Amino acid sequence: MRRIRAILPAIAVMVSLAASGPAHADVSASDVKAAFLPRFARYVTWPPSALPGGADPFVLCVVGDDPFGNELDSAARTQSVDGRRIVVRRLGSADSAGSCQIAYVSGSRSQAIAQSLASLRGKPVLTVTDARNGGQRGIIHFTVVNGRVRFFIDDADAERRGLKISSRLLALAISVKQ
Amino acid sequence: MRRSLTIGACVVAAAIASAARASAGASEQDLANLSIEQLAQIEVRSASKTDEPLSSAPAALYVITGDEILSSGMDSLPEALRLAPNLQVQQIDASNYAISARGFNGIESSNKLLVLIDGRSVYAPLASAVYWNLHWPMLEDIQQIEVISGPGGTLFGPNAVNGVINITTRDARDTLGTTARGTAGATERTAAIQQGFALGGSGAVRLYGNWHDSEGLPAGPGVDTEDDYRGWQAGFRSDFGDDVDHVTVQGDLFRTDAETLPGDGAKGQNLLARWSHAISPRTSVEIQSYYDYFKRDFLLAEESVETLDTEAQVNLTRGPNDIVAGVGLRTTRDRFINNLNAFQLDPTSRRLWTYNLFLQDRLNITPTVELIAGTKVERSSFTGWEVLPNLRLAWQPNDRTLLWAAASRAVRTPSRIDRELEAEIGGIPFLAQSPNFQSEDLIALEAGYRGQPSSKITFSINGFLNFYRDLRTTEFVNGVFQLLNNREGKTYGVEAWGTAQVTPWWRLSLGAATLWKDLHVKEGHFDFIPRNVVGNDPNWQAKAQSQFDITRRLQLTLDGRAVGRIKQIGANPEVPSYVELGGRLAYVLNDQLELYVAGRNMLHSDHLENNDLNAQLAKRSIYGGIRVHF
Repeated sequence: MRRIRAILPAIAVMVSLAASGPAHADVSASDVKAAFLPRFARYVTWPPSALPGGADPFVLCVVGDDPFGNELDSAARTQSVDGRRIVVRRLGSADSAGSCQIAYVSGSRSQAIAQSLASLRGKPVLTVTDARNGGQRGIIHFTVVNGRVRFFIDDADAERRGLKISSRLLALAISVKQ
Repeated sequence: MRRSLTIGACVVAAAIASAARASAGASEQDLANLSIEQLAQIEVRSASKTDEPLSSAPAALYVITGDEILSSGMDSLPEALRLAPNLQVQQIDASNYAISARGFNGIESSNKLLVLIDGRSVYAPLASAVYWNLHWPMLEDIQQIEVISGPGGTLFGPNAVNGVINITTRDARDTLGTTARGTAGATERTAAIQQGFALGGSGAVRLYGNWHDSEGLPAGPGVDTEDDYRGWQAGFRSDFGDDVDHVTVQGDLFRTDAETLPGDGAKGQNLLARWSHAISPRTSVEIQSYYDYFKRDFLLAEESVETLDTEAQVNLTRGPNDIVAGVGLRTTRDRFINNLNAFQLDPTSRRLWTYNLFLQDRLNITPTVELIAGTKVERSSFTGWEVLPNLRLAWQPNDRTLLWAAASRAVRTPSRIDRELEAEIGGIPFLAQSPNFQSEDLIALEAGYRGQPSSKITFSINGFLNFYRDLRTTEFVNGVFQLLNNREGKTYGVEAWGTAQVTPWWRLSLGAATLWKDLHVKEGHFDFIPRNVVGNDPNWQAKAQSQFDITRRLQLTLDGRAVGRIKQIGANPEVPSYVELGGRLAYVLNDQLELYVAGRNMLHSDHLENNDLNAQLAKRSIYGGIRVHF
């Protein structure tokens, strides 16, 4: 990138202006989303019946095509919830996703996002969707705005499932549906 | 909630500084140490400023996002369509445009492109045309415009021959609050306001009004027309529901006023309802109905069309098959009265019915290869049966690469003008009706690549070879003119476009399209007005768009285009090739207020884009704008 700057003297003024602008990193949107996913666990309260028994690990599922690969596993390893580890499970469809606490629903050839969401309807699962995959929305819906990963939150849906989202997470949302 | 937002805002503000430090050389290892507030502030590399799916639809698809339209500073729908490299846009006068994909552009010849706004067709069936100056959605509400070059008959039906423009507006739940915009320049002005309200726990409605006023353009090589144009459009959209049920109800009302003669202008209204429902995880249905009416008064001629349309569609996933099937019913009542010249429709008014059925299967042959096969069968009470099949093969070796090939048939069905227009001059028949006029027919072969060769670059390239049959000819038979189907031939070309996020603050998009036409009249026939059918097309066009975020508050967008020469046809003059530049410089004061200066055609005081004798000169236009949101 530095080289690109060097070969564009014509816009040197803009470069210097931009350099004083916001910071940026050489990370991809999907790295940031992978970093967000396990962190959501800390800002959401599940009904006790929806949590894994004993000291069993907390389950973060990817339902459909997995855009993250190892990034998500390594992000999950750095986080814990109330002393529980977070494990990542990859599922082809939502049929067995009822036991996940968080489900990133990306859709696949065998099950569209809307259909996966429908089969998780009302269950105490924090559904997460991505504008990259289309317009269907779970409780949290990732999007990229001005080059930053942000999200919408549907707090009404969370409430219907008995999930309580902390105000710290709500404050980061682009908009909150109540 | 308000308090927690304030706390959140402070947390975010505090986090920005530390995130700036933390992210200076951030790798994913460092992401582990950031708070959620810091994560939300990290700039990411992405070829598009706003997420859009790398759609796996195997077709020549270009997506214009709503954000791109706003940052371009374009102030009308046809000007916004210039952002698509696979569309050719010609300004004819202050409000009229000719727009086409893959050739046949012109006022009368551009009849092979289907346009939908939120699922409602705005293709005017009486004359086979899209009247671009009747559609003034508030540009702030546009979610995206999908531009498909190439046939879309199987899913979209007749007249989706050379392309489909599919405009979708935002869900009402995403446009809460008040937004207002005003622009003013020496020759054009706009003003718009909208208000979005939450309704119950899961719904919202927005109301909007949009006013526009353009002064006439200078005369081209032909006549100076009285093309001043102004009008307003108002409407609403409401959305309700959740993941399983989604209901949309929306409608618009418009009036426009042209200067040609007192009383000239247009009016219309529409109302649409759509319900989608997921029956099970593998089955969903969607039902949509709309009513649409418009009436145009132009130079002693009057045209009106009333449409009622109902469609139902079911999507099923069964094993390796993704099946979509649907039925549709449409009725139109039209009326055309011409007191300007001798050309009359007989009868002046007619009700037509069309019914259609379609079925398409997307079959996963292997995890990376898909075969799409489908057909639409449509019957019209006016023109009979049509079969519109397509076959597509897609290979997606990874989620960054799509290679595809397709063969399709599409038709432009005869309009009432094609079959029932007649004229007598001094009691002597001049133009006779053509009750046997057939559909214009296309067999299209296409292939393309779409992908993300690197995380900062998206790129598409498509080639097409189109075989046309039964195109319209105007012939002199037994002492009278008649419309017949005796032109045929082929067109071919290449379209390519790409976007690079060169740096986090600079995005560059480039696109180009080429077109070769080899259309001829069958031996023993002579076409008196070829231009009205084959159109007036440049052989090439190229576009470049550059978006700079100079600082967080200052944004500069530049749009350049170069368009090839259009040859002289008979009395219609040559249109020289031209290069033009538009752009916008915006100062975003805060989330509530944005000030900007925008311009188009800035390089020359005026230039010609179309060779019609009524075409005026597209003119340099510079205007200031203000947009508020609260």
